[in-house]
Parts: sequence; structure tokens; C-alpha cells
Amino acid sequence: MTATTGTLADEVWRLMTAQGILFAVDAPIRQTLQNLVEFFAARWQRDPAQVRAELEAALAADERFTREEVNGQVIFVTSRQGRYVPRDTTDIHTFKQRLYEPEKPLPIDDLSVVVSTSRPAITTVEPVYISDYWIEQARLVTAKAAEREPDVEPPVPVEAVPEGTPVIAEQPVAAPVTPVVVEPPSAAPITAELEEAPVETMPIAEPVETAPKPEPVQPAERSTVLVVGGMAIDLSRPPAEIVAEYGPALERILAERLEQDPLRRIVSFGRMHYPEDKLTSFGKNDLRKIRDYILERNEPLLDTEIVADLYYHNPRQSDYEGFRFSLNYRLSREKDFEFVGVEGANIWSTKGLPAIGSKRVKAAEMGQLTSYLIEGFDDSLADQSTDSIVASGSVTRWLTFFEWEFGVLPLDAALAALLPKPVFPDQRSAVLRFESPQHFSTYLVEVRYPTGNRGGWLQGLEDFFREHLVPGALITISRGDAVNVFTITYEEASETTSRLLTLDEKKNKFAFANMTFYCAVDDDLLPEQNRYGKLRNLKAFPMGERRKAEMILEHVCETMGERGGSREQPVYRVSFADIVMAYNVLRPASRSFLLALLANHPAIAADPAAEGMYLFTPPQEETKAEAIEEDEDVPAQPALRRRSGRYIEEDE
Amino acid sequence: MIVFGDTAVDRLLQWLRASGEPKDVRELLVQYLEILSELVMEESE
Repeated sequence: MTATTGTLADEVWRLMTAQGILFAVDAPIRQTLQNLVEFFAARWQRDPAQVRAELEAALAADERFTREEVNGQVIFVTSRQGRYVPRDTTDIHTFKQRLYEPEKPLPIDDLSVVVSTSRPAITTVEPVYISDYWIEQARLVTAKAAEREPDVEPPVPVEAVPEGTPVIAEQPVAAPVTPVVVEPPSAAPITAELEEAPVETMPIAEPVETAPKPEPVQPAERSTVLVVGGMAIDLSRPPAEIVAEYGPALERILAERLEQDPLRRIVSFGRMHYPEDKLTSFGKNDLRKIRDYILERNEPLLDTEIVADLYYHNPRQSDYEGFRFSLNYRLSREKDFEFVGVEGANIWSTKGLPAIGSKRVKAAEMGQLTSYLIEGFDDSLADQSTDSIVASGSVTRWLTFFEWEFGVLPLDAALAALLPKPVFPDQRSAVLRFESPQHFSTYLVEVRYPTGNRGGWLQGLEDFFREHLVPGALITISRGDAVNVFTITYEEASETTSRLLTLDEKKNKFAFANMTFYCAVDDDLLPEQNRYGKLRNLKAFPMGERRKAEMILEHVCETMGERGGSREQPVYRVSFADIVMAYNVLRPASRSFLLALLANHPAIAADPAAEGMYLFTPPQEETKAEAIEEDEDVPAQPALRRRSGRYIEEDE
Repeated sequence: MIVFGDTAVDRLLQWLRASGEPKDVRELLVQYLEILSELVMEESE
């Protein structure tokens, strides 16, 4: 390129970039040679042919210009940044790719980078801290595995896996594939190491002539063993086999993982699962309508009743189950509704429904009175085993005075084996229907499940017990036609009239009254006046007081025992049968519970002269106090008892 | 790398949608194991 041509090319470039001053710096600026020739020929007053030749030579020599020919017309192309380079439109890194590549790019911690127009409820996932003990155990397991195969296996690189990842699989190992069990030391969600052991990189010892030849190395294959919560699962096996072996544990882990899904794609109600985006929506009007309907019916209702009566859905409709699931799922998230169903019968209660059972015993008090069941003094399976109860579907038991009076039954192991378990871990109660085929009547019974150190019980049978039975009757509870329906029966007998113990609620005292009954009874448990006349001397303690087991025991011994010893130091001799009888008038208790109380009480000892008899020696302090008071000739006052647990009448 | 309860949940979701009704966790588990099994086989091939 000469100076002249260079000057000419510069001038043409300035001219063209001036024309495209608003173009992008890399945008093409095109101009035909004909236009350039006409412009410069007119400007210089020269022969156009000569100008054309000069222009062509100058622009061809300048690298800023590219020559094109379109339909026989010569066009020069340049750009503001110099030579025009066509733009590369290939997008190598898009937002879409950033989201979806690799397949699962977003750990839970990074969800904040997701741009969304809505704000889904994202649960906070707390980091899972693993005890140093288990980490150390994991190291020991790895070390032992390395020691077992020191000559063949190279040091296995252990890849750290983030905490909280419950299971990792895919273990390339040498074929033939042997299920490699990477056994975490605990059932807690723990990492499983990814063992990279490519055969090609294995250092194989040099063959020695005298040594046996190493076996031929097989090509590597991928293992199909998946380690889940300490269980090694070979995915090459049929799923049915795996489920048969590990079903419950895998179900639990899968349900937990789906529950922890931050996008909540699959939601659950009990054991049932359904896509979240397929749920039917229920608004506030729907909830109000459902609540009003339950209140109108005046009892907890099945979900199927609500669906049929309020929404006119029937099971033949294709969306019936989905609609039913949506209803249950929605109600389970509303604080105005409480699930009181069992597996297979979704029953809903709501605020404002009348309480089931007697109000004379509060739930907190009853939970304390039945706490002996939680403490291990449950001997309800002494006469019938769990297997026999499950097989026969019925439980037979004697009715005590307390149970008869208040219409409650302790939820002991025998009844727990018969009755359905709670569906949810935090479920407080379930409502069952007890039918009496002998009287064609039905009773709603609330099962209160044990919580913490408080026992469980059934309530709601007060009317049935008082109308048809007496204490000491033998009742049988059996499974009914539905999971929430049971039958309650008793053995009928000829008419009998007897003076039996009753509680006079107005006077808050026990008394005997004539009663006629038509059921078979155990004479030892029937509180007859002839046999258990002293029962009327029992004090009807407030329920809050009755939880004091030792105090009740002392009172029972004093009331039922034969007084002996001296005036200063009385000794009460009482039989175990009387203790069981009288104690169960005041509160529920098992025989093993009473035996433990008697054995541990410092003032009660077994009578060596007679089996089944006990001697209760009240503490001497109280008798001294009584003597002093009498000497001073002051009005007689009940003495304060030790442990501040003894009952004082004025406290009543 | 397969993470139980995380990998291929979208395929499980598709199956659940296609079924059109709620499923018991046992059925869900069987289907999920089938999906994982297929996944492992595909990768090994």
C-alpha cells in the first residue's frame, strides 16, 4: 500500500464510518464502489474510470475493507472498529443452561439464586451435625477394610460428601461385581464413600517366577449397589424383593426425603402421596362450610361423608381419590380442624364440638393416673398374649369401680394391641365408634394416646357402663366391620339385686345402694356391702390428689385394714385383694403396680404369718401429734401428714 | 452418583401425575426403585 492509496483508503474509511456513526462498533458498514467513484470523481473533477481503478487498488490493499460482489455490483464493507468480522451468534453459556446443567445443579443452600415470580414456602434446612464418635467409627471401618486387602487394593481415595446427603451410590469396582457394602456405623443419614478404584491404575506387583500368577484383570463395571441408611441395596434385584427385605425403612427414608424437597413437588397425607400441582384448591368458604357441617352433625365426620354430602362427589368419578386427598391434606394444615381418624378412616373434628366422655376427669389428670402403664407396670397381657388378641380381634377384661364410674378404660397393652395405632406421630387422639349389639346402641369413644410419661385411655363409655353393667362385670371389646368401628359386649345373666358401692356426687362420699343388674360378674371384684363394707369409708379425693400413688395406698391400707397394735402405734393388717379392690375404686392401677408400691413403701411390710397379707404401720409422728393435741383439750384437728401428701379433710 | 430420594424424583413425579390418584408410599417406593434400577442400567450401558 502506497502513501497515496493509504491516504485514499483512510479517506474512504472516514467517509464510511461517518455514515455509520450510530452503528455498533462491530456492525458492518457497506458502500458500493459505484457510489464511491461518483463521489470522488465529482469531487476531484477527474475521469471516473481512473478514479474507480485507484479506489479499487487502494481499498483492496487496505485490510480494513472487505470486498463483496452482489448481483455484479462491487461493495466494500468495513466497521467502526476496522475490519468487519461477522458476529459469532453461537451462545455458549445461557441462563437456561446455568439452571439445568448439570442435571441437579442446585444444592438446597443455593436456592436463593433461583429467580421466581412467586415465593414458594421454602423450608429451612438445618445442617446435620454428626457426632465425632460416628465419624471416628467410620474412619475405623475404612481403616479395617484397607487392612484386610493391603496387597491388592491401593489406598482408596475417599471423597468427602456434604453432610445431610443420606445416600450415595455408584461404585465402580472390578468385575465380577460383588455387592460392596459400605456400612455406615449408624442408621443416621450418613455419607457413603464413593470408591474410585479403576483397575487400570491399580499397581500390580511384578510377577515373580516362583509366585502364582495374578489372575487376569477383568474390565471394570459399574456396581448396582446402592447404600441407603446403612443398607446395601442391589438395584439389579427385582424391586419387590428389595421392598420385602427393606420396605419399612426405605419407605420412611423416601417419605422423609420427599418431605424435605424444597419445591414440595410431592405432598403426603399419612401414607398417601400426590403431586402438589394436582391438588384441588379449598378456600376459606369451603373450610367454613365444612366446619359448619361438622358442627351441625355434632360429631367428628369421615372425609368420605364430607366429600359426598358437601361436594356430591362419588367414588365412581375419576378424580374422586385426588379430591379426597386434597381435602384431607388441606384440613391437616388448618388449625381449626383436628385429625381424629385411624389408618383407613380419615375422621375430622373441629372446634366447638362437645367433648366425648365424662368431664369429671380432666385429660391431664387421667394421663397422670394411667402413667403406671408407661412406667412398665402393665400386666394386661398376663392372661392373653398380643398374638391371640390380634388373631381373635377381641379383648376381654374385668371392669373396676373407677372405670365403671367414669366410663374410662386405661389404654393398656392388651387394648393397644386391638385398637388402631395413631396415623401421625403427633396425633393426640382418635374417635372410634363402639356398637352394642345387645342393646342396638352406639357410643363415640375417644382414644387418648400416651404422650411422654403420661398414659393413654379410652373415654366415652360412661352411659353404657352405668346403664347396663356394674363394677366387676366382664366386658369384651371386638373389632367391627370397619377400622373405626368396634363392638362392646358382656355376658348376660339373670336378674340380680345387690347393695353395691356408688359415689354420691352431691355429698362427694361413697355409699352403698341397691342395684339390679343382668350381667355376669366376678364376685371378688363386685363391691358388695356384705363383703367390702369398709369401702364406704374411702374418701373421694379430688382427682388431682389421686395421682399421689403412695398417699392413696396409705389411705387404702388404713381404711380397709384391721387395726391392731397399740393406741400410740397402730398397725393395719390388710389383704392384697382388698388393696386391689379399694385402690381401683379411687384410681386405676394394675396388680404389678400395687405390688411394686407395697414393696417399696417404707411403712408397709408383708405379713410373715400369712401370704398375701400386709402390715401398715403409720409413721409415729402423727400419733404423737394427735396425743399432744388431745392432752391440751383442744378441738380435735386432723394431723398434718408426712410428705405433705396425706389428705386433710379441710383441704377438700 | 445416585442419591436415594433425590435422584430421578422428577420421573417419579411424572409417574404419579400420570397415575391420576394418590399412591401409598409402598407403591411409590416400588416405582422409585424401578426408576433407579433403569437409571443404573442405562448408565452401565
